Amino acid sequence: MVPRNSSRPLIAGVLWLVTFFIARVALEATGIAPGLRITAALIPLPFFAAFLVFFIRELRSADELERRIQGEALAIAYPLVLVMLMTLALMERAVGLKFEDWSYMHVWVYVPIFYLMGLFIARRRYV
Amino acid sequence: MKNLLRELRAERGWSQGDLAEQLDVSRQTVNAIETGKYDPSLPLAFTIAALFKRRIEDIFSP
Repeated sequence: MVPRNSSRPLIAGVLWLVTFFIARVALEATGIAPGLRITAALIPLPFFAAFLVFFIRELRSADELERRIQGEALAIAYPLVLVMLMTLALMERAVGLKFEDWSYMHVWVYVPIFYLMGLFIARRRYV
Repeated sequence: MKNLLRELRAERGWSQGDLAEQLDVSRQTVNAIETGKYDPSLPLAFTIAALFKRRIEDIFSP
């Protein structure tokens, strides 16, 4: 059987998300020194690194069909992210976008959404 | 591609899970091959042929 330990990427991913939201809440507080604010902003990074390591290990141990599905999911998601960012860049010049609606803090959530869309499309094709 | 995987598997009374374990792939891969949704790689095709003691072209056809 193909060895799978799919809980590690999930746990690392959840920790990454949790630390992201903790950092976000912390940064909305006032009166914190700039150095500490930068530290808070960078705290999620080690958890992201762990998630990436486990995800790539999982991918390398996956069988050929799963690797094909993941590859197609990313092939769908990556251009979608690119066109989203490029369109927003042009809209910024065209009409100006409100920072409180279209900052990085609001746009990042579309990246995993596009990946999940790609995964759904790819899985439907083969499974 | 068409294939005889389901018939060959049934002859031996194997489940998709049994076959997947012997091929070192997931059950979803076996199912995808049997339903024609996925064509196996050449190494996997050779493994399948060796397992069933048939030639690749006897199992898979366009």
